[in-house]
Amino acid sequence: MIEALRLFAAFVRVAVHREVAYRANLVAQTVQSVVGLGTALGGLAVVFAHTATLAGWPPSELVALVGVFQMVGGAIGFAIQPAMQRLMEEVRTGALDFTLLQPADSQVLVSVREVSVYRLTDVALGAALLGAALARLGARLGPGRIAAFTLALAAGGAVVYAVWLALATCAFWWVRVDNVLVIFETLYDAGRWPVSIYPGWLRGALTFLIPVALATSVPVEALTGALRGRTLALAAVVAAAALVLSRLLWRAGLRAYSGASG
Amino acid sequence: MASRRDAPAGPAPVVVASGLTRLYAVSEREAGLAAALRSVLRRSVRQVRAVDGVTFEVGPGEIVGFLGPNGAGKTTTLKMLAGLLHPTEGRAEVLGHAPAERRPEFLRQITLVTGQRSQLQWDIPAADSFELHRAVYRIPPARYRRILADLDAMLDLGPLLGKPVRNLSLGERMKCEVAAALLHEPRVLFLDEPTLGLDVVAQRRIRSFLADYNRRTGATILLTSHYMADVQALCRRVIVIHHGRLLFDGLLEALAGRLLPHKVIVVQPSDPAADLRPYGEVTERAPGEVTLRVPRAAAPAVAARILAEVAVDDVSILDPPIEDVVEQIFSAGRAPESGAGLRP
Repeated sequence: MIEALRLFAAFVRVAVHREVAYRANLVAQTVQSVVGLGTALGGLAVVFAHTATLAGWPPSELVALVGVFQMVGGAIGFAIQPAMQRLMEEVRTGALDFTLLQPADSQVLVSVREVSVYRLTDVALGAALLGAALARLGARLGPGRIAAFTLALAAGGAVVYAVWLALATCAFWWVRVDNVLVIFETLYDAGRWPVSIYPGWLRGALTFLIPVALATSVPVEALTGALRGRTLALAAVVAAAALVLSRLLWRAGLRAYSGASG
Repeated sequence: MASRRDAPAGPAPVVVASGLTRLYAVSEREAGLAAALRSVLRRSVRQVRAVDGVTFEVGPGEIVGFLGPNGAGKTTTLKMLAGLLHPTEGRAEVLGHAPAERRPEFLRQITLVTGQRSQLQWDIPAADSFELHRAVYRIPPARYRRILADLDAMLDLGPLLGKPVRNLSLGERMKCEVAAALLHEPRVLFLDEPTLGLDVVAQRRIRSFLADYNRRTGATILLTSHYMADVQALCRRVIVIHHGRLLFDGLLEALAGRLLPHKVIVVQPSDPAADLRPYGEVTERAPGEVTLRVPRAAAPAVAARILAEVAVDDVSILDPPIEDVVEQIFSAGRAPESGAGLRP
C-alpha cells in the first residue's frame, strides 16, 4: 500500500508538471464542473418545488448527496478512469509489455500511472457543496459520524475502483471494451439520486451489482446519522470482496494476455 | 551442440533455452460477411508452432544476433526469455530465474527495447518518463544522476530530454528509448529490431553505443535485426531461426559455409573476352572480373581447371557474402534443403 502511494505520488508529480502547461484546460474543466453542479442543483430545485421530501430525504441532505456525487465522480475522473483507459489502450497496442517488465506489482502500476489533474476541481467543488449543505443541516458531526463517513467513502471508492478494474480487465479477452465503460458511467449517473427512490430490483443492482449507491448514498447517510451499523459493515465486506475478486480477475487476465500476445 | 562448443567455456551461462517451444492458437475464418457470422458461433482454431524446440546458451558479456525471416519465431523467443510469454514446452532460464515468473529481482536486471513500440509516453518530455522510471526502479538519486550523465555523454541526449517525445525525430526518439531502457543498468538486454526504420547515421550511432555499452558494463545482449550491418557490427555469434526451429548456431563467419551449398570463384581473366560459362554459373561480370557460383565441394577442382585452361591474372575462392546467405534464409520457403542436417 505504501509502495502504491509512493508510486502514485511520483506519477501525480509528473502529471502536475505536465498539466500546468495547459492552463486553458483548467478553465474549461472549471466551467464544466460548475455547469454540471448547477444542472444538478437546478434539478433538485424543480423536484422540491413540488414536494418537501424525496423518499424521506429533505432538500439539504440531497444537496449533500450531490456534493458527494460530485466528489466521487471527480475522484474517479482524476485517478481511476484515466488509468483504466490507458490500460485498455495498451492491451490493444501491446505497449502493456513494457509495464509488465517493470519490477513493481503490475496491478498497482496500471492503477496509479495516469491521472487527470484538473478533475480535482470536481472534488473541490463537491466538497465545498457538501460543507455548505452540512452547515445548513446543522448536523452535529461527532467523531463517530465522521469516521463512519470516511469508512463508507473508502468502501465506496474501493468498490468503484474494483468495478472499473474488472471492466478494464475484460480487455484482456475482448480487446475492445470501451462500450462496457459507458455502461458504468450511465449507471454512475443514477447515484446522483438517493438509491431509495428506485424500484427494488434497480436498488439491489445499484447497491450490489454495480454498487454505485455504496459510493454516494451510503456516505451521506453516514453523515446525517441515518446509516445503520449493519449497512456500514456490509459495505466494508462488499468492498473487501470486490477488491479480492478484481485482483483474481486481474491475475487471470494477465495469464490470458501472456497466453495470447504475439 | 554447436552452441556449447562456440560459447566461452567456464562461466555459467546467463541465458539458457532448452527445448523452448511456444504454440499459438490462431482462430481462422475466411473473408466475407457470412464467414464472419459463422465464426461468431463456431471458431476454427489452429495450433501454430511459433517456436519449436529451440536450444541454446548465452554466456556473460556475449552479444548474440538472431536472424530469420518475419514470423520465424525470433520475437516470440525473446519474449519468452524476457518473461512476457510462458513457454508451452521446454525451459527458459535467465540469470538463474524462470523469466515468466517475472520476479522483481529478475526484472530489475533485464530490459527490452523494441523498434516497433515505444515505452516513452508521447505527451511528456523524455526527462519526465525517465523520472517515472527512476521511481519505479527505485534508483537512488546520486546513482541516477551518474547513469544519466554517462548515457548523455554517449548518446548526446541533452537537448532532447526536455521536448515532448512526439516532437522528436525517429532517430532522436530511439536514442531516448535506449537510454530509458538502460537507466536501471540491466545485465541482460533484449533488443528486438532496435534500429528499425532509422537512417544509416542513426543506425550506426545506436550500434556503436551498444558495442560500447557491452564493453563497459559486460552486459549480455540478445538482438534481432533485419539489418545485416547491425549483426555484422555487433555480433560474433549468430543464431538462425526458421519456421520456429533453430537452423544454425555459431560464429558469423561460419554461417555461409554451413548454410549455402555453393562457393564463389572470382576470376580476373587476361583476355576480357574469355568465356567462363562452362566452369560455373556466372553471377556477375565487371570489367576485368568475372564472378562464378559453383558447388561447394567442386570449388577447388573448378579453380584448378580454370588455372590450367584459361589465361588468368588472378583466381580466388570465397564464401558467398553474408547478405546472400541471409537473403536465401529470409526468402521464406526457400530455406536450404538440407536444413535439418546443418545442425551439428
